[in-house]
Parts: sequence; structure tokens; C-alpha cells
Amino acid sequence: MGLLRLLSRIWDAITSLTRPPNPATLFRRADLYRQEGRFEEAAELVAQGLRLSPNNGVGHLLSAYLHLAFRQIGPAKSEFQSVLQADPYHPRALLGLAKIALEERDFGACRPFLDKALQYYPDFPEARALQEMVAGWVTAAGSAGQAAAYAGPALQVEKLKPPAAGREFVLTQADGTLVFSHGDKDGVDLAAHVTQVYRIASATLQRAGLGALRRGIVQAATETLFFRSNDRLILELSFPHDVKIGFGLLETDKLWTNSLRELGMRA
Amino acid sequence: MSPEPNLPAGSARARAFRRILAEMLKIDRVRGGLVVAADGLVIAASVPRGIAVEPLAALAATLGRELEVGADRLKRTPFQAALFSADNGTVFLGSSPVGFVVVLGDKEVNIGLVQWALRKALATLEGAWGSPANVPERPEDM
Repeated sequence: MGLLRLLSRIWDAITSLTRPPNPATLFRRADLYRQEGRFEEAAELVAQGLRLSPNNGVGHLLSAYLHLAFRQIGPAKSEFQSVLQADPYHPRALLGLAKIALEERDFGACRPFLDKALQYYPDFPEARALQEMVAGWVTAAGSAGQAAAYAGPALQVEKLKPPAAGREFVLTQADGTLVFSHGDKDGVDLAAHVTQVYRIASATLQRAGLGALRRGIVQAATETLFFRSNDRLILELSFPHDVKIGFGLLETDKLWTNSLRELGMRA
Repeated sequence: MSPEPNLPAGSARARAFRRILAEMLKIDRVRGGLVVAADGLVIAASVPRGIAVEPLAALAATLGRELEVGADRLKRTPFQAALFSADNGTVFLGSSPVGFVVVLGDKEVNIGLVQWALRKALATLEGAWGSPANVPERPEDM
């Protein structure tokens, strides 16, 4: 088997020198490279293939994937749309646009893409997983990004006793409604992000069979973020990046307990 | 049906991903892991029986992207590593140029040890793409 493969590769190498590459071969090879994480080489082959066959749907789909892999969202979106122009029900292009809509927090646009992808391909596992996740979201904010008003008891920062070393913190309801925020970030933006992290992390944990989200830690170059949640509330507290994890967890627990107490909830 | 099944990968880089994953899986109480591109493509995976890889990869990539995009929106620095714990275990997530490294640990997993091993794995991936990150020699130095 190994010898045959070697001979086949040698033959391919010889013949590739004497005949021009065809788009199908280029795209097939690009897809293999992509699956090996060789995105730069794959992108070169896709560009070469699309020069030979500018309307090729496979080429545009691969191009979209590679733009996403490089985190180039605008070009990825255009490429997925090109695929849909030729095939309006292409499940992978619809899934790609649904993911982009999710990133853009445009849930109103995300759901129809997923529904359409599953209309003809009901056993499409990735689309089904995202559809199930999004279906459970009760939006306080709505697709236009309008924040819902918090109607519970008002909180006072001095009673919550946030740690002096902490930078900012935010408390939100599970539907995204901002309860309280403290620090120099916009509270509504912070609440929207924290809610999204909570929702997607919860879905990921459930999918891995691990249960409901309770705690989280996100480490970045200049800050470390601590999450605490139950089924109704989410707290995020940020510290400088060099905070000791044990200290951060302890302070987050204190702030969590104080917040629940002030809201009249049991831990 | 899945409209586009994955094909086996065979390059040196693909082998490196599988080696990284194998190292993570050697850690006590680690149940599985995957390397997933930002678009949700599974590059390497080993998950416990009964857990479907593609849906988990799609969700993990979505989570990774929200952490990246959210940090950007809030003018924070990009996330490097994250963990999310539930009653029965923890999902670890590391960001790299190729996408995300995901590790699944049960509720008894040594979180510090996995975080350190994940940082090492990410540094290896960074090295394959450009400049490697510095990682402490021992987990307790983190």
C-alpha cells in the first residue's frame, strides 16, 4: 500500500509538470491541506483554482472556510453568499453564515440560516447543535441590541464589597438583562458578551456531558476574568493578568455571595 | 447525513496536532480533546464514546470565537486560554493561529496541570506558525 502510494505521488509529480492543473484537482488538494491545518498552502491553491474557474462553488466554499480560519469575517461572508447564489440551500454555506451572524450577535438572521440548512439536511450535526443552542435563548435584548431594563432590587456597590484589586465586574441575568456593572467598560456591552460566553459555554459543557456551567476563568495578556453562575445569574469579575488564581476565585466567590444576598437569593 | 465528511489527514503538521492531543490525553482524568479550526473544522480529535465530535467542535469553535470577538469589542487583549467548569467536569480551551485546542476533564482533573500542559501545547502551535510563547517549566510556576 505504501509503495503504491509512493508511486502514485511520483506519477502525480511527473504528470503535473507536463499538464496544467485543473480546478477540481487544485480544490481537492486544497481541502486536504486545510484539513491538515495548512491554511496558507490551501489558500494559494484555492486562489489558483478560482482564477481558472471563477464561478466554482467548491472553490468559493473553500475560500470562505479559509477566510474564517484566518478570522477574515467580511471576505468569508461574501464567499458564502457567492455559494448561495448558485445553490440557495447549500447547507455548509448556510451554516457558515449562521456562525457569522452569531458572532455579530444578529440572532434574528442566525436562526433562519440554520432552519434552512436543516430543511433538506435534517441530520447535519453541527447545524443541529447550533440550532438547539440558539433555540433555548430567551433574548432580553432582541436582535436590534436594545437592552431590557432590570426590574429587581437596586444594588449598591459598597454593599457588594468588590475587591480593591479587581478592575471591573458585571452581573447579568441569564437572558442578558444587565443587573449591575462597575468599572470603566460599558455595562450593556459587557453584559452582552458575558451572556454570550455563558450561553455558549453552557451548551458546550452540556454537549460534552459535563453538566451546567458554574465557574469560568479566561486568561488574556493583560487581564484574567473570573465567571460564576447559576441558572439565573452570571457574574464576571476582572483582575490584572498576574492575579493568583486562588485569590481570584476566592474574591469572585465573595462578590457572588454578596450579590445573591443583596438580591435576596439563596446561594 | 453530514454534508461534507472529514478525510484523514497525513502531513507532518497533522501529526503534530495528533501528538499534542495525545500528550494532553496522558494527563490523569482528561477524558478527551480536539483541535478545531476557527470555522469549526475538526483537525484532530479523541473524545469519549457517546460524544459526537462535530457538534462539540462547532460549539467549541463558536465559544472560542465569542471570546476573541468579545475581547476585541470590549478593547481587551485577545484571550489565550480559558476554562469552564460544571458539576461533572471542565472544558479547557486554548487559542492558537490554527484555531482552538479543546480538552475535556472530569470533575477530579488537576486544573493547574491541564492549564500548564495546554499552554505548552499552544506554545508548540505558535512555534509552528511563528514566534513561540514562553511557558513556565513547571505547573506550579504558572
